[in-house]
Order: sequence, then C-alpha cells, then structure tokens
Amino acid sequence: MTAPLDPDDYDAFCTFLRGRTGLSFTEAKRYFVDRRLAERMTAVGAESFRDYMNLLRFQASGEELQRLVNLMTVNETYFFREKYQLDCLVNSALDEVVRGRKPGDRVRIWSAGCATGEEPYSIAIMLLEHWGKVDEYEIELYASDIDSHVLKRARDGVYEERALHMLPRGLVAKYFTEIEPGRWRIMDELRESIDFSLVNIVDPAQVARFRDIDVIFCRNLLIYFDDLGRREAASMFYEALAPCGFVCLGHSESMSRMSSLFVPRRFPDAILYQKPQR
Amino acid sequence: MALVKAKKGTLPPVVEAEAASLEDADPAQRRRAAHEAAGRAEAVAPLAGRLAREDDASVREAILTALVRTGSAEAAGALIPFLASEDVGLRNGAIESLQQMPAAVVMPEVAPLLTDGDSDVRIFAAQLVGHLPHPDRLPLLTGVVERDPHVNVCLAAVEALVEIGHPNALPSLERLVARFPDDPFVGFSVESARHRFTEDPERDLGA
Ligand SMILES: C[S@@+](CC[C@H](N)C(=O)[O-])C[C@H]1O[C@@H](n2cnc3c(N)ncnc32)[C@H](O)[C@@H]1O
Repeated sequence: MTAPLDPDDYDAFCTFLRGRTGLSFTEAKRYFVDRRLAERMTAVGAESFRDYMNLLRFQASGEELQRLVNLMTVNETYFFREKYQLDCLVNSALDEVVRGRKPGDRVRIWSAGCATGEEPYSIAIMLLEHWGKVDEYEIELYASDIDSHVLKRARDGVYEERALHMLPRGLVAKYFTEIEPGRWRIMDELRESIDFSLVNIVDPAQVARFRDIDVIFCRNLLIYFDDLGRREAASMFYEALAPCGFVCLGHSESMSRMSSLFVPRRFPDAILYQKPQR
Repeated sequence: MALVKAKKGTLPPVVEAEAASLEDADPAQRRRAAHEAAGRAEAVAPLAGRLAREDDASVREAILTALVRTGSAEAAGALIPFLASEDVGLRNGAIESLQQMPAAVVMPEVAPLLTDGDSDVRIFAAQLVGHLPHPDRLPLLTGVVERDPHVNVCLAAVEALVEIGHPNALPSLERLVARFPDDPFVGFSVESARHRFTEDPERDLGA
C-alpha cells in the first residue's frame, strides 16, 4: 500500500488534473483522490509519486491518464433525469431554434458529459414522443464524455432497472428489449442515431469539431469544476454553438457567475442560457 | 424517423488552422488566439495590450480567462491597471478574474493599491483583498480601517472584515467610530460587525 501523498504532492496532483480535465478536488476530497491514486500507482508499479506523475505527463499514448480519469469521474445518471428540462427542449427551445428554417434543415443537439448514455437517449425519446415537428427536420444527436469506460457502455445501450425507474413502462416496452431478466437493451435505431465520442470539454482541440450546435446539454458536470474550469467550459460552448443556440445546465448550476457570454432565458418549464445573435 | 444516423452527421471537418492573431479583424479569430495563449508566459503582455483596446465582450472574456489560466504574478500584475478602468464591465471582469487566481500570487500585486492615490481604486482593492484567502488579509484590512482618510474606503474594508468575521478586527473598528464619530454609516456598520462577531462564536476563525 502506497503512503498517502504529502500536501505539496497532493496540490501538485490536483493542479495537474484540473489543468487537464477541469475536475477540481479540494482538500475535503482527499480520501477520494488518495485511494484512487494509490490504486493506480500500485497497478503500474510506480516507485514514487514523481514517477507516476511523469508517466501521466509524458506517456505518449496517454493510456494511464485515461485510466486515471476514468476513476476520477462521477458518472451517476438515469433516464429522464430532471425531466422538466427535457420538456423545455420539446415544448419551447426547439420551436425557437427552427424558426426561419426550412423543412429538411439540420438541427444539432449535443450532450456533453453523457456518462453511460441515459441523457442522449432520453433526448432522442423525448423528440420522437413529444416534438411535433420531429419529422420535418434532420436531427443530429451528438454525445460525448471524457471517460472512455462509460462511453463504451453508452454505445452498448444496456441498462438495468435503476437507470429506467423514471421512464414510463410504455416507453420501456416501446424502445427497449429485455435481453435477460432485469437487463434491457435500447433499440438499434436509437443507438445508431447518436454519435458518441471521447471529448474533454475544456480542451479546445477536442471541442473544435463541434460547430453550429443548436442545443448543448451539460448537466451535472460543471459542479465538479472550479470557477476557472466553468469559465473555460463556457467559452468552449460559446464557440460550439450557433448564434442563438442554447445551453442547458443542471438544476443547481448557473452561468450567471461563470460567464458574461450568455443570456438567461426563462421558459415555462426551465431556464436555459442563450448565445446572443452575434 | 427524423433522427439522422450517426455516421451521416454533417459536422464540418476540423481544418488545421494557422495560429490565430489577437489583432485579427474577426472576433472569432481573436478568441481563438486568446484560447491558444492560455498558460503561456510570453503571451501575458500581448493579451493585456489587446484587452485594453478590445470592445467585443466575448473576446474580453476569452482574454481574461486565458490570463486566469496562466495564473502567474505577471498575469495578475497585468490585470491590476484595469481596476482603475472607467469601463464597469472591464473593471468587474478584472476583479472577478483576480479573485479566481491563486491568492499568493494576487496579494502582492493588489496590496500596494490599498494606498493608491485614487480612493475608488482603494475601494476596489479593499473588496478584492477581502476575497483572497491569504494570511495578510486581516492586518491589511484593519490597517485600512485605522488609517485611510476616506470614509468610503474604510467602509469597504469594514464590509470585507464583516464577511471574514474575525473578532481580532474589533478594536480597529472601535477606533474607526472614534475617527468618524458623526458618520451614521460608520456607526451602523460597526454595530452590525459587533453583532456578527459576538453572535457567531462557531465561525471559522482562520483569517
Ligand atoms: C454526473 S455525470 C452526469 C451525466 C448526465 N449529464 C446527467 O446529468 O445525468 C458527469 C459526467 O461528466 C463527465 N465529465 C467530467 N469532466 C469532463 C470533461 N472535462 N469533459 C467531458 N466530460 C466530463 C464525467 O465523466 C461524467 O460521466
């Protein structure tokens, strides 16, 4: 068992991790960090903290950093979480997005921080079930996460009861097949309609691919960031959005403190943040 | 079904672009230049230079964020002149950004402003110092309360001290009442500080 880090090493590690991922751990989270770090150091046979840091920093494949990141993220999620925001999407936001567009035009929605996929699949189901204009537009759904392990599960699309508890039974029956008792797989048509990718939202090079997005969902992710990380994420979203595009944050998260870039918009179901026209 | 198959998505390909310039006519390019400059020591001066002339809010935000990310004494120092800016948005952006930088780096840059010739700058400096978790915070603010000739500066320091809530500040506050016996705001704010300090013995006493 590796000894816990001394305070300077702990700081150095947290600074490194925050710089790379936005994830911010304070002293209060020491137990969480120490345990995972010790586990990885033992697994790779690192002799010292410094050896391990060098591996994280300089390993060409980035494999160990990815393993560590996978351990450091919190991936809790479920279908129809904070459903009022999904209601807002289909009742208000999308109608505004398509105003002035022609039938057949594209609409792009991105779930940034999708974890095991429940959020983007929920969006897809809400569109199909509740957005009256769904057949008039070509809708592209993107979903990404920094954690490669959860992405794989998102692509597989197999869920247990706990993830489905908010979903009406009729919708489970309509969009899933029970592959063994207590395990359901989402239908292929939905799996194939979502473009999953590994993206760190504070890395400009990785976010560069996302352009002209109409709605970004970034829920329950920025709570793990500090102020600077939130600010950097906000500027990445600003670049990725089309003019007048929306950001949807988790219920306890707000952009007002974090960025002067967006305008809060109050809709009947929820508040979204909007990029100005220009 | 109107959901497009993932493989058929139409996101434009990312083109390997040339390095962007902070002086480009297109704000998107200036923002990109600012993102690229984050964390780079040699970029502090050009970023600050552009910030002084920049009037696009999104580019300002990108520059400020980049300087916070750099987080060095030079980056903090480069933001200091903006505390005297007439432009409220820019000034507030600078204050907020300094608050997000490491206190150990910011404090030596901001502390001298507590004796600046402009009382408005001293007010912003007192507010900022109040937000920096740093061991010098308490003595600096009590120093302002005891010595600053301008009552509004003293009140800004009192407000910050009330937030910190350390009872060691009380004697200085009492002396402030003696210095400005006729100012109702001084009497009122010191009274509320007394309350705050005595009511709340469980407060974290770390200054
Ligand atoms: C608690 S889950 C939230 C999932 C879903 N959005 C929801 O609200 O239910 C947060 C997710 O954010 C991801 N995450 C954390 N930092 C990230 C980053 N820098 N870039 C992309 N994803 C990140 C984590 O891996 C995790 O899967």
